[in-house]
Amino acid sequence: MAKLSSESLSGTAGPFDRFAKLARPPLEDALLQSLPPSVDRAPSLSLAMREALLSPGKRLRPLVALAAGDLVRARRPAATAVAVAVEYVHAASLVLDDLPSMDDARRRRGRPALHVTHGVATAELAAVALLARAFELVSEAPETSPATRARVTAELAGAIGAGGCCAGQAADLAADPSALTLEDLEAIHARKTGALFVAAVRGGALAGGAGERTLTALTQFARNLGLAFQITDDLLDHEGDPARMGKDTGRDAHRANFATLFGPAASRQLVEELLGAAVETLSAFGPRGGVLADLARVVRDRKS
Amino acid sequence: MLRSEPPPPKQPLRRRRLEALLRREGSTARASQRSAASQSSIVSQQSLEIALNPKEPQASAPIGLDEARQRLRELGYLSGAVERFVFRRALEGRGGLLLPAVLLGALAAAVAALAAVDAGEPGFGSSAASVCALLLHLFLADLLPASLAALAVALWADRSRAPAEAATAVGLLSFAAIFTLWIGGMWGLARAIPPRSLLWGAPVSVAALFLARSARSGFLARAYAHSRVLPARPRSRVFFAAAVAGVLVAVGIFASRGETPAVAAPHPSPRSGTVVVAAIDGLGLDGQPGPALAGMQELFGRGRTAWWPTPAGVSPPEIWTDLATGQPASRHGVRALERVRPRGSPLSLRPPFGTGWYLRRLGPRLSLVSAAPVSGRDRQSLAFWEITASAGLPSLAVGWWASGPWPGAEVVGNEEILARAADGIAADRDALVEFGRRRQDGEPVQTVYLPGLDILRNDPEKRSVELAQVRRFLEDEISRALAGPGALIVIAADSHPRSGALGRMTVFDGAGEWKMIRARSSDVAPSILARVGVPPAQDLAGQPLAALFREGSLETTTVATYGPRIAPAAPQSRQSDREYLEKLKSLGYLN
Repeated sequence: MAKLSSESLSGTAGPFDRFAKLARPPLEDALLQSLPPSVDRAPSLSLAMREALLSPGKRLRPLVALAAGDLVRARRPAATAVAVAVEYVHAASLVLDDLPSMDDARRRRGRPALHVTHGVATAELAAVALLARAFELVSEAPETSPATRARVTAELAGAIGAGGCCAGQAADLAADPSALTLEDLEAIHARKTGALFVAAVRGGALAGGAGERTLTALTQFARNLGLAFQITDDLLDHEGDPARMGKDTGRDAHRANFATLFGPAASRQLVEELLGAAVETLSAFGPRGGVLADLARVVRDRKS
Repeated sequence: MLRSEPPPPKQPLRRRRLEALLRREGSTARASQRSAASQSSIVSQQSLEIALNPKEPQASAPIGLDEARQRLRELGYLSGAVERFVFRRALEGRGGLLLPAVLLGALAAAVAALAAVDAGEPGFGSSAASVCALLLHLFLADLLPASLAALAVALWADRSRAPAEAATAVGLLSFAAIFTLWIGGMWGLARAIPPRSLLWGAPVSVAALFLARSARSGFLARAYAHSRVLPARPRSRVFFAAAVAGVLVAVGIFASRGETPAVAAPHPSPRSGTVVVAAIDGLGLDGQPGPALAGMQELFGRGRTAWWPTPAGVSPPEIWTDLATGQPASRHGVRALERVRPRGSPLSLRPPFGTGWYLRRLGPRLSLVSAAPVSGRDRQSLAFWEITASAGLPSLAVGWWASGPWPGAEVVGNEEILARAADGIAADRDALVEFGRRRQDGEPVQTVYLPGLDILRNDPEKRSVELAQVRRFLEDEISRALAGPGALIVIAADSHPRSGALGRMTVFDGAGEWKMIRARSSDVAPSILARVGVPPAQDLAGQPLAALFREGSLETTTVATYGPRIAPAAPQSRQSDREYLEKLKSLGYLN
């Protein structure tokens, strides 16, 4: 099993940190530029979209898409278009997830949730608009062939739709929260969390014309990474600091999750092993996989 | 109906959700008047009742780490390596996991054997056709042992509890096997190893490296497919280190057997008279004596004799080359009557280490390999007439196995004699005719090999006739030797020995009373050389038998070595080879 970098232990920035430091400002610019112009008579929708999209976040998924694009030497404008679309989808999913009919969360990214500030209806409309805009951006992606645009569209649609986030959320709502098995939890979170990670790496790689073998390897990477991310999420929810998390914690304390299912110590061990497996998948790419491999360390050490 | 009791303490969020759903349901019902589409979201009151009054939750039992791993693997996680080449295939089926290792193993073994042949066969490397043909043959030949090895590796992998370490061991064993083939092959085929042979270390190392990695990957994949436990990531540096170590070992070994520098010819102290050496194959004097044999025994009783046990199951060329060179077959290199010629190769060769089963047995049956007769090219040690000729003493040799042209010597090869002989009587007659025609008075060394009695070993009638012919020749030579200053040395050995048959060397040079001593076959050549006046080499396996000769007639000084025999290039003719082999068969050889 591959070992994770110890850079975090020494406090130095790893390859992903350096990559993120360079890639995040242009990404934020691209996000800002990608917002549609405000529409007459619906200023609240535009404002809600803007707030949902530009609220301070880690931008982990778009950065993953960019890193995957770099891995296969994608042209940066093409990968950026995919990364921005991924962030749109992620922002929409957070808005929907926070709704009273869903998780009924009050805070998100250190701020009041969108439905709290703009109302449920506007939040729902903003989420739908964000999703639509994501597909619009992919369809206009520069330096990208029509076939690639179609494939990326299909990847995002798959991550969102009946086999993706929506299915995961529906399964989550329908499940008996106290009697969730490992398989139930995996089925829910592979769709709610993992699917968009997978779409991000596959979309970024597709922007660079990646072949099926590369896509398969990256899918395996993202699946392991996504599950590790979810388990750390559960651990943070279990024992994290709400101020650092920027969202309500302990909300799921009553229900089974990975942290309660395995226990904290075993959960941390499994996170290590999942991330090790993810890094192992990248070994075929050699040094080019360094940024994504270091992402495993970021996930392991994250505090929010 | 809501229960009057408070909800279980672990249910607040779900209850909030469901209550929110109920509230929304009211609004949805109102909204349904505006939109038929919302009908799909109506949840029955009954469903909500059930949802709000769940059965007592069953607490999920904590999952142990091992079980969690197992179940996550079943869900496709914790399997980063499975998407790599071999692990992906491991999930699809175990059958072909070691196929790359089998193919690379056969290729690496073929390259190693090819390198050994190139070191042992002068001129082989310059023939691209020979190299390509042999590489192809060896690759095909090595597929079977490579497959068997892969089977063993697969069984090992299925039972391995430490697959990472075991896989590394498999890789290192692969290395060892390939380097053993290379080094062992060179050791067996080449008396002296030219420095350029070490250049083969590069392709051999690369091939072994690929094999080791492939074998290790196959092992890991097989172990993974069997246990579904991902092994630790293997380290590749150990194989690079093994490659370097292997080449260094090869260099060290080859340095000890490097190309022997040219050795100056020994300075002879020529004796007066001619030393005639008559080599008679098939003459065992220890069997059932008949009248002819009794006469022969009486003849031999007039000289001094040394005897040695004759090994069974050894070919005539090997026995007689032992006697001619004073060296064992492991040094002179002549073993069988035949060499092999893989189809497509213009050159014949000796099978390298580990490939005899194919090149000698399977290949000929499949008509992929043909035979070529053994020749002077195959002998790596000097025969006594070549040593005397190199020492400046004119020499004549007629009819010996694995003989050929040599500077300073007049040589009539075995194939020339046998090619025109209809049977053993004719073979010996032709040999004696050639011997008589070419011998010159005062020539220090004259030797003739007579195969007739061996050819006629199953024909008593003709054998008696032949015995009479040999006896007449010996009587003449004995009379001449006893009358003059020269000597006659008769070597009798049976290359198809019956039980109890002995090899013997009888010396007729006017020495005193009859004597019989125990000796070794390797003592024959040094004795002849010492009698001719050439200092025997210290690296010969035997020593002069002083007890057989007149006192003071043997050279007492020695030299360190005669050096290697570098055979003069001789053209090979496949047609004449084939005819020669057919002739050998017709004379009773190769049966």
